[in-house]
Amino acid sequence: MMTLKTFNSDVVILKPQRFLHSGNFVNPLKSPAHSFPSTCKKKQSISASTAPGATGGRRYHTAARTDLRPCCSSHMDAPVSDGIKDDRIHRITSAIRVIPDFPKPGILFQDITTLLLDPVAFKDTIDLFVERYKDKGITVVAGVEARGFIFGPPIALAIGAKFVPMRKPNKLPGAVISEEYSLEYGTDKIEMHVGAVEPGDRALVIDDLIATGGTLCAAISLLERVGAHVVECACVIELPELKGRDRLGGKPLFVLVSS
Amino acid sequence: MSAGENDGSADRINGIKSTLRVVPDFPKPGILFLDITTLLLDPKAFKDTIDLFVERYKQKDISVVAGIEARGFMFGPAIALAIGAKFVPLRKPKKLPGEVISEKYVLEYGTDCLEMHVGAVEPGERALVIDDLVATGGTLCAAMNLLERAGAVVVECACVIEVPDLKGRERLRLHGKPLYVLIESRFEPTS
Repeated sequence: MMTLKTFNSDVVILKPQRFLHSGNFVNPLKSPAHSFPSTCKKKQSISASTAPGATGGRRYHTAARTDLRPCCSSHMDAPVSDGIKDDRIHRITSAIRVIPDFPKPGILFQDITTLLLDPVAFKDTIDLFVERYKDKGITVVAGVEARGFIFGPPIALAIGAKFVPMRKPNKLPGAVISEEYSLEYGTDKIEMHVGAVEPGDRALVIDDLIATGGTLCAAISLLERVGAHVVECACVIELPELKGRDRLGGKPLFVLVSS
Repeated sequence: MSAGENDGSADRINGIKSTLRVVPDFPKPGILFLDITTLLLDPKAFKDTIDLFVERYKQKDISVVAGIEARGFMFGPAIALAIGAKFVPLRKPKKLPGEVISEKYVLEYGTDCLEMHVGAVEPGERALVIDDLVATGGTLCAAMNLLERAGAVVVECACVIEVPDLKGRERLRLHGKPLYVLIESRFEPTS
């Protein structure tokens, strides 16, 4: 078990997460003893097994470690007050739980529903995004179904932007445009309403987690096809080993927690 | 109870109503689908929607807002954040990781199922159920059953829209719970 260590204001290493209920045995995870870089963008030299095991979907990784590292990663402006932001990130990170063997054995699922059960941590999550985007002229917040629907609307409301849901096929009534994207096996599709977004709109794409980046990439395409400018993608959690950050067509990514 | 009755909200309600659109023949011919996504495109109307719910519930000691997948997710979290409550997603089967409880309910043809995490809601909690629209009330009843099985007290169900002809309000009344909506949608025959 790792002890709590603070390397700098942006990186805190935490013990494996608490669980809401008993019954799921989790192997205590070994973490490497060396220090972590101060930003999440640098590649880490850890001996994690980066099995190409992102099976079928967005959030799975079979790496041997599940450290959740707070990471307001970006080349952009530094936090206004490192101390306050550090506390908020710490609380958010602690509120996320890892469910082993979901949806199948060997997969570690990052579950944000426990974050939603902590009103302070949930509010802090929204506040961190709002602080970043409120002065950036964002006119559209696009949220990816379904967990993007939980974070996107409060952000949109706070910054005075439209909220546009990006949905699985056949859910949106009326005229839609679709974008297909690859999964490990096969393809999937997301849709957006025709007319929801206009040329020149400045857009933010929100989801709870980025894994391979396939879904976010499809969302960016939909927005660009209607003439919007995608300013940034934002997620609560990143799985950096799945390299989604590199698959966003050059668009920047902002996350709060890196796993 | 509907909004607009002596609570100074008539202008906001009218604004909200004007943003809704009806999409004919969705999901199948003959159905008139009430689409709230156009409401979400109007920041003032969307904010007014949330404000109306928050004004109603902020003094009612609600500790849990349960939102029904997926459109309940668009309204529930903002309400929960404003009143300092937890947000609990109620989901279609197999979406929630970890241990869940399930409640089956009847559709026109066949059945469906709603799930909630074990441990998300504790006995004695006061809960609000949110969805975008109430039709027959089947989904809301399943939601209430889940919360009550976990020992919570459902204070009220709240939706943006009610389709009164489908008698969801009556169904909730039989369950013993009130329904609050902002807008009623009645379909008039064309002359």
